[in-house]
Amino acid sequence: MQASFLFNHGHHSIFTAILNGLSIGSVYAIFALGYTLVFSILGIINFAHGAIFTLGAYFSYTLTGGAFGFNGLLANASLPIHLPFLFALVLGSILAGIASVIVERLAFRPLRKRGADPLLTLVSSLGAAVVIVNVIQYLVGSEIYTFPSDIYGRLPASINFGTVERPIAIRTVQIVIFSVSALIVSILTYFINFTRFGKALQAVSEDAITASLLGINTEKFITFTFFLSGFLAGLAGTLVGSSVSIAGPYFGIAFGLKGLGVIVLGGLGNIPGAVLGGLVIGLAEAFVPADYSGYKEAIAFALLFMMLLVRPQGLLGRSVIQKV
Amino acid sequence: MATGIIEARMEQHGQFPLLEVQQVTRRFSGLVAVNQVSFTVAQGDIFGLIGPNGAGKTTLFNVITGLIPPSSGQLIYQNQRITKLQPHRIAAKGIARTFQNLRLFGNLSVLENVAIARHTHRRSGLVQEILRTPRAIAEERQTHLKALELLAWVGLAEKAEQTARNLSYGDQRRLEIARALAVEPRLLLLDEPAAGMNPNEKAALSQLIRQLRDAFNLTIVLIEHHVPLVMGLCNQIAVLDFGQLIAIGQPEVVRQDPAVIAAYLGKE
Repeated sequence: MQASFLFNHGHHSIFTAILNGLSIGSVYAIFALGYTLVFSILGIINFAHGAIFTLGAYFSYTLTGGAFGFNGLLANASLPIHLPFLFALVLGSILAGIASVIVERLAFRPLRKRGADPLLTLVSSLGAAVVIVNVIQYLVGSEIYTFPSDIYGRLPASINFGTVERPIAIRTVQIVIFSVSALIVSILTYFINFTRFGKALQAVSEDAITASLLGINTEKFITFTFFLSGFLAGLAGTLVGSSVSIAGPYFGIAFGLKGLGVIVLGGLGNIPGAVLGGLVIGLAEAFVPADYSGYKEAIAFALLFMMLLVRPQGLLGRSVIQKV
Repeated sequence: MATGIIEARMEQHGQFPLLEVQQVTRRFSGLVAVNQVSFTVAQGDIFGLIGPNGAGKTTLFNVITGLIPPSSGQLIYQNQRITKLQPHRIAAKGIARTFQNLRLFGNLSVLENVAIARHTHRRSGLVQEILRTPRAIAEERQTHLKALELLAWVGLAEKAEQTARNLSYGDQRRLEIARALAVEPRLLLLDEPAAGMNPNEKAALSQLIRQLRDAFNLTIVLIEHHVPLVMGLCNQIAVLDFGQLIAIGQPEVVRQDPAVIAAYLGKE
């Protein structure tokens, strides 16, 4: 017997699996960071996050000049512009951020102003998600859209990390995804820990009332947090969409559930936890052999479930008992 | 010129009104927590707000700082109506407070707790902060120094780098005062600043409050249960009982008021 059925495909495949796992895991991480930011400031899960992810992917696709199919209201339409992928990525994510702010204004703020139980916003954000998904479906149909294959310009489709005899080919997309995600996580970590805005955000998340009494406009920070969260979702949506394809308006729903798994694994509201959780789930999935790839979600969630039996507060979360 | 002199004299005698509470009522589903309360706090006052538990003192602080709107009545601060303003706007106008049940940012350092209250006094933008431009760095250093200066006032300069939640109870109370000062208030509301302190600490706190008033040109309203401290420190005292103002005046007058003796002091 080999060491394990997971590792019987040779060492350079392990290397490939690690790189692929880090790549997808880093997307999980930036997506989950969006959940975690909103959770840490409002104490609730934004169920529209997965829908914003989808929206971001469609925005970027449109901005690269991608045309729509023949099912929706916008059948065969496309923008006259063809932005380079990286521009479309940033602009599409900014638009996703704006959409997220609109969701906050419509589904969160009115309830908050009336002093409603924060749990009710679970339902209103779920409602916002359903509306977004249906509007997408109405406008562009439910076909699968694929980004043009030349989105990285002159970069080759894959890069060989091995030798000529024993190639270890990693798709350029995966490298771009990992680099963009790592850059974003670094900027965000720096922003939160070392800028006055990040410090103020921490203060609002720890105690919004006290922060407001110190002159901090908490509503402005909530708006900003939703923008950031939507931006991250849009980024993740575009990266995943460009790596595989945009699999229709429901594209973000399954991803949204996985993002929930990631933040639970890392510890709710914990920023390094979201990153670690994303990488762990990404790696766990990458080591599922190709024959079983249809079950990789189930395997990832089974691991999550087992982990929670041991550490219910998540990998980096504070113990629930301490919090009370 | 002449008016300037008169004004200065009025300020010195505590006659210039800084905060006017006018007929303020606050109800909570049937319960009247604050009932038709009116009083004026003059510039430079150390104004004591006393009364039994549940008399409505903290509710009144919450109304003044904008955390909860009054059911009726008006709040006038520096001749401006602040009744409907949001908390952060009221803070920006120069009203800061501390809390009876400490509300520090426990995960942040002592210094960061104070620095955060400087947020609205800072000018550097998001991009400048992320890129750490010379201006952002200079401002950061300035904030740091200002925070250290305030911590020195309350005797916490040496503990600047500690995590706030690890401070002793008395230190946490003093940190809340330093943090409130960082807002650059003209009016400082202290909610039971001496709670949980021993007699020596209480005496030192009285001293500190007076020094801060003089050094920062403050007007102070404080809620306190410890009667000797209030009597020794305040030049004006208002007594609340079941949400109603039952007496107001100088300590020696309030002390002899039969209604006050019956409601509060008599129980001592």
